[in-house]
Amino acid sequence: MTGITSTTALWYASRATGIVCLVLLTAVLVLGILVNRQGRLPGLPRFAVTGLHRNLSLLAVGFLAVHVATAIADPYVTIGLAAVVVPLASPYRSLWIGLGAVSLDMMLVLIATSLARAHIGRRTWRGLHWLAYACWPVALAHSIGSSGDLRAGPLLALTAACTLTVAGAVTWRVVRAMRATPRAERVAVVLSRAGAR
Amino acid sequence: MSRHADDTRRAVAERDRGHARLRAVTAAAGVTSLVAAGAVAFALPGAQHAASAGSASAPAAASAAASGSATASTGSSSASKNTASKSTAKKSAAKSSSSLSKAASSPTASSGSGTVTSGGS
Repeated sequence: MTGITSTTALWYASRATGIVCLVLLTAVLVLGILVNRQGRLPGLPRFAVTGLHRNLSLLAVGFLAVHVATAIADPYVTIGLAAVVVPLASPYRSLWIGLGAVSLDMMLVLIATSLARAHIGRRTWRGLHWLAYACWPVALAHSIGSSGDLRAGPLLALTAACTLTVAGAVTWRVVRAMRATPRAERVAVVLSRAGAR
Repeated sequence: MSRHADDTRRAVAERDRGHARLRAVTAAAGVTSLVAAGAVAFALPGAQHAASAGSASAPAAASAAASGSATASTGSSSASKNTASKSTAKKSAAKSSSSLSKAASSPTASSGSGTVTSGGS
């Protein structure tokens, strides 16, 4: 027997989808870094890494939609529709729910600019896509602050694993970027290599 | 000419295999996420708490009962008070969920489950 009843189902759904969403966002961020550094996954061609990044992003958005919808529909606490996108508008745990709203806003910008990438230009899209690095820690802070679920037990280990994974991926990206030939010098380096042959 | 065509055919087949693998991985990720969400919901602190309390009532309120919420039992006469006590119960549940093992084994949960029904239904 569980505590999930018709009256508490929304509360459980909101918490569970939020946790899964955090894991999916972690995977999306890591895949995004992999795409940026032209990395590969075993058994998948390079274009599939980009495709998986996009597909998991959409999956995360789906779970996020359920997370938000169930949180609003849950009759136990009053969050309010405006608090979904307006920070500090929620009467319930305004700071932590507000961080969730900030994270959602950034995610909406990321989605919108990715969908309109062909129209806004690569440079603008790339600039706005840096928001992903701000979005994840804000989402993590929202997850930890708004519910005690992630502060103990196996879910604390899961949170730590997500944090370490993202930290490792970001470090890997920074190291790879520092070792890489600067963009302006790439042509000269390639030509000199070709000349040496 | 035929060699070029063979190369093209092979590349197209390779690309199709890549797409198929991508679809399979995406589907697997989707199914895994759904199963994980269900498993997490089932294993969330409140659920275990209520299960240990042996009550069919709301786990949030059960947690509140465990934390000794007096308002849940006394403030259930009017609708507005009842809502307020629910909110209190929820917040208490969120707070108590950080100490999962403690709450799950707390003997006060069963003693407080009588007051839970009014706050959680």
